[in-house]
Amino acid sequence: MINEKIMEKVILNTIIKSSCVIPNDIIASFHQITESKKTGEEKDAFENMVKSLELSAKRKNPACPDTGWPLFFYKIGNDAVIEGGILKLEEISRKMVARATKEGFLRSTMKHPITGEDPGNNIGPHVPNFDYKFVPGNAIQLTYVAKGGGSECFGGTRYRMIAFADGIKGIEKFVIDSYISATRAGAICPPGILGIGIGGTANIAANIAKEAACLRIIDSRHPEPMIAKMEEDLFHEINNLGIGIMGSGKGPSVLSVNIEYAYTHIAGIAVALSSNCCISRRATTIIYDDGKIEELVNPDWFDRKENNG
Amino acid sequence: MAKYNLKIPLQDRDIEKVRIGDLVYFSGKAFTCRSRLQRYIFDEKHSLPFSTENKNLLIHVGPIVRKIDNQWKLISFMPTSSIRFEKWGPRSVKEWGLKAIVGKTTMGEGTIKSMKKNKCIHASPLCVSPNLWLDSINIRNVYLYKELGSIEAAWQLELNNLGPFIVDIDCQGNNYFDNLDIIVEKNRKKVYGNLRIPENFKYTKLY
Repeated sequence: MINEKIMEKVILNTIIKSSCVIPNDIIASFHQITESKKTGEEKDAFENMVKSLELSAKRKNPACPDTGWPLFFYKIGNDAVIEGGILKLEEISRKMVARATKEGFLRSTMKHPITGEDPGNNIGPHVPNFDYKFVPGNAIQLTYVAKGGGSECFGGTRYRMIAFADGIKGIEKFVIDSYISATRAGAICPPGILGIGIGGTANIAANIAKEAACLRIIDSRHPEPMIAKMEEDLFHEINNLGIGIMGSGKGPSVLSVNIEYAYTHIAGIAVALSSNCCISRRATTIIYDDGKIEELVNPDWFDRKENNG
Repeated sequence: MAKYNLKIPLQDRDIEKVRIGDLVYFSGKAFTCRSRLQRYIFDEKHSLPFSTENKNLLIHVGPIVRKIDNQWKLISFMPTSSIRFEKWGPRSVKEWGLKAIVGKTTMGEGTIKSMKKNKCIHASPLCVSPNLWLDSINIRNVYLYKELGSIEAAWQLELNNLGPFIVDIDCQGNNYFDNLDIIVEKNRKKVYGNLRIPENFKYTKLY
């Protein structure tokens, strides 16, 4: 059985890690950029970013003060036995968000949308948010994502319905146009990680776009060649736009383009965009039934088997 | 592109020589602000409880600050998007006598006009590097903490060569990002071509 004490410890540590330790795949992509340049402002900028992120990991302070929306993604083993059940898991998750906020690992960012009232603990209706996948086995896997305000608020998150007649060109134009306006003057802290959701209802498209932005590692490609080609084409072309780091025109414009799709209604194609800032905040830990804990780089969120129907 | 180490209080002669694309560092006194402070002052008509005369640099930021052993300690710091505060930008520049604003996403037309008139620049970070800035900032005091909370309070800072920031609006009213828009616009056309998207592409109107 997975007991409360272990859940408390793992959830708190995963939240802290997400805020303070940027995943290795992101850091590696920064190193790749700096190694490809001899001099220049973008080389300095990426090197400074790496230095700061290394210090965050060492000092255990947030990599960015905007610790964003608190999002939990749980993979629950079909045979997992959780002390107190899923309700207890959610209760502990909320408590640990409040504790991480009190201890300065998260900023008290979540507020009442109308009155601006600040509860001081990042807890309120629908916040934190929980997403679940049910998988074989008896473990539970937690990915905590701190989703930054810049990447959500300045056009990095978009949606439109596209007619079948407009097809792939309509989708790609929407992506290019949206990303240009979202990155102007560094709004979403580019080079971002761009998630694209195609198909489903509007909320399904938006969900899979967010998951593609936050839960896929850099350089992962969709297993289906047609989708992988779209990812590569868009990655290449967005990097031809000249947006650059923090919208400065210097260096790469996007770190990765990740597409996920759902089947859609014959009436039309929902397309959603979700951008994540260049310092993507996520951390993943798995708790096994015997209490063993393992930290993972890859959230491995997408179960490709479900695509087979 | 030139580099400048600017001392606060900033003088007109310091600001006049700086151009868009230059890198600037700041030393001296500064204060922080987000929208609740500007709303509190300009919409709700309270007066600012401190003088901005010797600290004419405003930083748009919502820092993480903790009190440890009765001392304020800055935990994380990253300039935030200025365009959100455009509504109050012209009055902030004029009434607070600002000579420089540090933030992200530049400012709008109204504020740029005011900045030109009052000789003020806007500068932005080139990357997300809070830890490289923490060592250049000391917290001296805080105002409106009780009224506005930790993130939106007016933190009074002492800076020691804080930077680099790229100047994106200079006091002649030039905007670095407007110039970049022209280049990105040209590239957009090329990218459409590469993806075989016709330039006159029109979406089927669904609603």
